[in-house]
Amino acid sequence: MSLRPLKLIWLYFKVNIQNLAAYRFDMYMRIVVSIMHLISELMVVWIIFTGTQNVRGWQWQHMLVLVGVYRMVAGGIRIAIVPNMRKLLEDIREGSLDFALMRPVNTQFLISIREIVVYRVVDMILGLCVAAFGCYKLTGQLPLDEAILFAVLLAAGFVIVYGVWLILGTLCFWFIRVQNIEMVFWNVFEAGRFPIVIYPPGVRWTLTYLIPLAFITTVPAAALIGQESMLTPNAPIWAILMAVAMFIVSNRFWRFGLRHYSGASA
Amino acid sequence: MRVIARSFLAFLRAAIGVMVQYRGEIFLWAVWGLINPTVLYLMWSAAAESNVDQTLAGFDRGQFAAYYLCIMIIGHFTTAWDAYELGYFIRSGALSPKLLRPILPIWDSLAQNLAYKIVTLAFVAPAWAVFFFFVRPAFEAVPWQVLLGIVAVMMAGALNYLLGYVVALVAFWSPKLDAVGETYFGIAMIFGGRFAPLATMPPILYDIAWVLPFRWMFAFPAELLMGRIASLEAALSGIGIQFAWLAAAIILFRIGWSAAVKRYTAVSG
Repeated sequence: MSLRPLKLIWLYFKVNIQNLAAYRFDMYMRIVVSIMHLISELMVVWIIFTGTQNVRGWQWQHMLVLVGVYRMVAGGIRIAIVPNMRKLLEDIREGSLDFALMRPVNTQFLISIREIVVYRVVDMILGLCVAAFGCYKLTGQLPLDEAILFAVLLAAGFVIVYGVWLILGTLCFWFIRVQNIEMVFWNVFEAGRFPIVIYPPGVRWTLTYLIPLAFITTVPAAALIGQESMLTPNAPIWAILMAVAMFIVSNRFWRFGLRHYSGASA
Repeated sequence: MRVIARSFLAFLRAAIGVMVQYRGEIFLWAVWGLINPTVLYLMWSAAAESNVDQTLAGFDRGQFAAYYLCIMIIGHFTTAWDAYELGYFIRSGALSPKLLRPILPIWDSLAQNLAYKIVTLAFVAPAWAVFFFFVRPAFEAVPWQVLLGIVAVMMAGALNYLLGYVVALVAFWSPKLDAVGETYFGIAMIFGGRFAPLATMPPILYDIAWVLPFRWMFAFPAELLMGRIASLEAALSGIGIQFAWLAAAIILFRIGWSAAVKRYTAVSG
């Protein structure tokens, strides 16, 4: 095991920091927008719980945890997954993917680390604070016991999202014009801002097993809350299995797509 | 005036042609307008059913369905994206040729806007019908409410379009400020009553919503269409307030545009 992958990540990380420094004002504005997104999500929770005590067993404290987790995931996806896939789609369309293919590194690894939007970490920190506050209001203490399971499930969620994106990106080898696929992704993702139990059974099943959205926001949030009744049975096991499966399937599909890639333009 | 009408029709024909050609991509834009209200409807009906009397702020499940179906339809007719686009036109220099035409760029943009709404109707109208038949919303509107409601929706479309364009003018001062557009959109979502019907709001937010224009773009036409505004006076005065806001928006646009164009120095080519 050589250290070269780590060195590469560090290198791209440094380049991205330098790019950020060049567009500082834009970065500040985006951070402000993130904070406003969070405020609007908190306002929605406030409005909902003005009229009711709980929504299918979720009280306002539970909902705060979910809002926090949703923000963490939404921010986390924007650190590396979405920027890299956006670049991949652009490269496939422009034909500049050839330059990445020629590098003497694993291509999937390379196309997954090129873009790192560091300041999105702010989203993760803000989200974590909100989630921790929700837990604190619920039990009077910080959820340290649940933290490990939560971290594992959050990581599993990111792996699932990564797999979904890699599959979407690979589809671009055949259908060049799928830039708008990002919009589809965010459209569906938005359904994850509410607990999965609010949906009717058919939709709930779809969002759990077909489009595994439940494992990305609701399941980690429920784990952090630490109430067994909120988790779907065996949810942690399912989440991990789903993550492993997504990783393998997306990797296979990527390699299959790559074999069919004959380069564009050039 | 005749010149404007003729060029506007030409813009509209061209824009419809382009939209039809890129219908696949345009369609994806419209999908959000369907998913977002549906998710919110499911959320609110779940919240209402958790209460003992199955209602929340005077809405039961069927009424939330009616409200969100109206919001879905109004959301379509009020779509406007200049606040995101004008900055790009300025940065890329695409605005310069538009400025050379003997007619204001807003007419071209308005034609694009109407073309989008007409072309995507072919996708979204069937989706509305599906929502209507499967979710069974409880409409209580009588004919005069529907008629005035249609007027209110058109006014809402005009108002949101024009105010959005005024906000977009900020791009002349700072062309890479997507944040402004997003903020405007977020405030309109909350205080317009798209995230939540105004009746469900805590008093402070409710009061803020009264002094902002957004409730007249979304909540008011929706409540009128579903039959929640019972008196003719309330309906007519609401439309009157829409007119007042529209007049204010036109004045703001005139002032803003002349100041903005003076500032404009072309970027690249």
